[in-house]
Amino acid sequence: MAFEFKLPDVGEGLHEAELLRWLVKEGDTVTEDQPIMEVQTDKATVEITSPVNGKVVKLFGQPGDILKVHSVVVIFDDGSPGALPTAGEVASGVAAAAPGGDQPQASLDVPAPAAPQPAAPGAPAQAPPAGGGAPAPGGRALAAPATRRLARELGVDINQVPGTGPAGRVTSEDVRAFAAGRTAPAPGQAAGAPPAPEPVEAKPAPQAAPAPATAAAAADPADERIPLRGIRKVIAERMVKSKYTAPHVTAVEEVDMTELLAFRAQAKELAARKGIKLSFMPFVIKAVVAALREFPYLNASIDDEAQEIVLHRRYHIGFALDTDAGLLVPVIKDADRKPVFTIAAEMNDLIARGREGKLAPDEMRGSTFTISNQGSIGGLFFTPVINHPEVAILGIGKTAERPVVRNGEIVIRQMAHLALSFDHRLIDGGMATRFLLRLAELLGDPNLLMMEAM
Amino acid sequence: MVMGSIKTGTDVAVIGAGPGGYVAAQRASQLGLDVTLIENEELGGTCLNHGCIPSKALITVGDLLYKVNHAADMGLVVKGSVEVDFAKTQDWKQNKVIKRLTAGVASLMKAGQVEVVRGKARFTDPHSLEVELNEGGTAAYSFKHAIIATGSTAINPSFFPLDGENVVDARGALAFREIPARFVVVGGGYIGVELGIAYAKLGGKVTIVEATGQLLPGTDPDLVNVLMRRLRRLGVTVMLNSRASGGLQDGKVKVQDGEGKAHEIEADKVLVSVGRVPYTEGLQLEKAGVKVDEKGFIPVDDRMRTNVPHIYAIGDVCSPVMLAHKASAQGRVAAEAIAGLPSAADWRTVPAVIFTDPEIAYVGLTEAQAREQGYDPVVSRYNFAAVGRALTMGESDGMVKLVGDRRSGLLLGAQMVGPEVSELIGEMALALEMGAQVEDVALTPHYHPTLSEGILEAALSWIHGIEKAGRK
Repeated sequence: MAFEFKLPDVGEGLHEAELLRWLVKEGDTVTEDQPIMEVQTDKATVEITSPVNGKVVKLFGQPGDILKVHSVVVIFDDGSPGALPTAGEVASGVAAAAPGGDQPQASLDVPAPAAPQPAAPGAPAQAPPAGGGAPAPGGRALAAPATRRLARELGVDINQVPGTGPAGRVTSEDVRAFAAGRTAPAPGQAAGAPPAPEPVEAKPAPQAAPAPATAAAAADPADERIPLRGIRKVIAERMVKSKYTAPHVTAVEEVDMTELLAFRAQAKELAARKGIKLSFMPFVIKAVVAALREFPYLNASIDDEAQEIVLHRRYHIGFALDTDAGLLVPVIKDADRKPVFTIAAEMNDLIARGREGKLAPDEMRGSTFTISNQGSIGGLFFTPVINHPEVAILGIGKTAERPVVRNGEIVIRQMAHLALSFDHRLIDGGMATRFLLRLAELLGDPNLLMMEAM
Repeated sequence: MVMGSIKTGTDVAVIGAGPGGYVAAQRASQLGLDVTLIENEELGGTCLNHGCIPSKALITVGDLLYKVNHAADMGLVVKGSVEVDFAKTQDWKQNKVIKRLTAGVASLMKAGQVEVVRGKARFTDPHSLEVELNEGGTAAYSFKHAIIATGSTAINPSFFPLDGENVVDARGALAFREIPARFVVVGGGYIGVELGIAYAKLGGKVTIVEATGQLLPGTDPDLVNVLMRRLRRLGVTVMLNSRASGGLQDGKVKVQDGEGKAHEIEADKVLVSVGRVPYTEGLQLEKAGVKVDEKGFIPVDDRMRTNVPHIYAIGDVCSPVMLAHKASAQGRVAAEAIAGLPSAADWRTVPAVIFTDPEIAYVGLTEAQAREQGYDPVVSRYNFAAVGRALTMGESDGMVKLVGDRRSGLLLGAQMVGPEVSELIGEMALALEMGAQVEDVALTPHYHPTLSEGILEAALSWIHGIEKAGRK
């Protein structure tokens, strides 16, 4: 008789999916595991397969429709006799005898035979039983009372925390990891917490030996397997999102930092009197803002959904911060309106708290342009990954004494490389190069920088 | 206090010293707050003095008597009869049970340096209270936070008004000096049925009159059916769909049954237990700006805050689910919230226990509720008749029902009727709060021979049933 097939949860606690197309029509005969429909979630396109052998009686929905998870999408005639029992009184399972050896007295209300589970056996990417912190319809995370309390203490919405415990339970560890990483802004949310520039490792990354091709399948006992989660998982997702969305091109230019470093040395003492530790980054931020003013398309984003270019009027500059937990990008808001000392003080505070894992999500959100300074660690230059949905990111290599030619003579100057990765959908090479040259000009001449940027 | 205008300042004023209020006061004091607890009767509130505790005391005595008189099967033969000295029973209940507990509460308050004020409180503004002191005069308090824990009071219905002597509420029925030979209970909720059974076991001829079609309205009928069988055996008359009215006249209660037929039932005493309403009389909530809903309850958020953010309400006064343990849990939440802790009333479920014979207890979702919430519920049952320990106790009536979600295997609820299920339900409450699957219960070794094996067996048969359905 009629078997109602409900749309399974094809992702992690998703509530709906877009119907892309039907692969069967009403009246078709289908076999179990035969693909019947394609749906699109915000993460993937998923083929859903038939849970039964039988005939398609009715299809619900047109391509383009948004289907709710657990809503009936197909009615099959699976040829079984009688109506599909719900969990009614189908009595009589006889349980094991009681320890006392008495006559067993148990009965069990189990719907009779062959009621295939609504979650199609063949459905790919089937959610874990109650995972993703969203245990079925109740919609509340599965977590012990003490864990729920911990979440409140850490200011975490426990329903957002992916559970790793049995049956998808959210453990206290999950909550702590989530809080430390401030992971996973809701899908579609603008540049959020730990975003996407190329992570710059403070410590040499453990040089994992190149894994053999089959490593994933048969885990070598010597391999350590660490669940990809928390901040690392978010970084991974966001890097992928950026690289798969924006066609990256990186332009590189060299910059003479000699004058700026001398200027900074003086300013450093002035700053010290105010109790502020001054690096050269606030000057870079100022120079970047000045250059962005002249090249508004680099302080922009693409609204994919609306198919519009958004030119940002405010200058919120993110900077990549390497921490033990992973890459964070704290944001200096309205950097154009703040004096260098203020920016320096703010950066110092953000860095200190960032390393302790104490930044609020808001402090890592909303940047319009990002800078990643690899130079403090070393490295000539690198090709940073854009902090999506921004359209460009500046990477700074190390500053070092190098011989350069000035007026026909070889002199020793403090040189560094600037690398600008940009989204070629919006920015062409000419504009990017001109921006980079202008930036190098500003950084190379503190007097000019003072006039243009301060 | 000489003058009402001199106010004593306090961090937290707790109004009402029942299981909500005194627990809140204790917790607040533990957290370093200066606490004033105001109560115009005994510490411990209705629960300790006129409710849960005294009723359990009488129920225990009734059980004991009944068991002794019905253990001939087990070889206990009573020659002559077991005499009940009910005045003595009442003394024991009052002095050996209640007084000890109220004294315990008093010493807790003392240890916590909670100032206990005896009197009736009323708000004078959003930060002030005036207390009409029991000893005479008034005292004024200003508070940073207040917790309203004034509880509930029995409805005194116009169709069957209390007379304070022979027509009484539960408080009165718990204080009878002698066992009523003929006892009519108007209202078949848990209070009426519990006391009806207790007095039936103590020798009274009991009739329970219930206006709806089922005793313990709202309770899983599977559980109530077991209770109904026992009531017949105990000789308790149950009249469903029936209405008593007009009070006790010439030793008779007029009842109209479901078919419109009129009955006159002889009675010495009548218990009217048709419900309880929130008790806020005289509090002058309006002066503090605290709102109540149309039924008189004070709405609160999950931190137990009323619409006035520094005033909290807990227990019976804020919801129709009137349970002492819930009030206590809410009291802790309120105290911790005031102390700045991130506490919230976020429990999944509050277990309910009814001390009938056999006892009834449930927690979480019933099958129907689970289905409404979109689960795919599967129910298993296990009868106590197959649990060894139950037979050794001579208590084979009843069962454990477990409700689990087919898809996720999650335990969703448990319903029980049978011996000591009031003690067994705790395991299920913990399992639900921990987010257990039915399998977790099934894989936990349970002690043999105990009644808890009923839970284990129900869990095993749940798993077995799922396996079987999967194999077919």
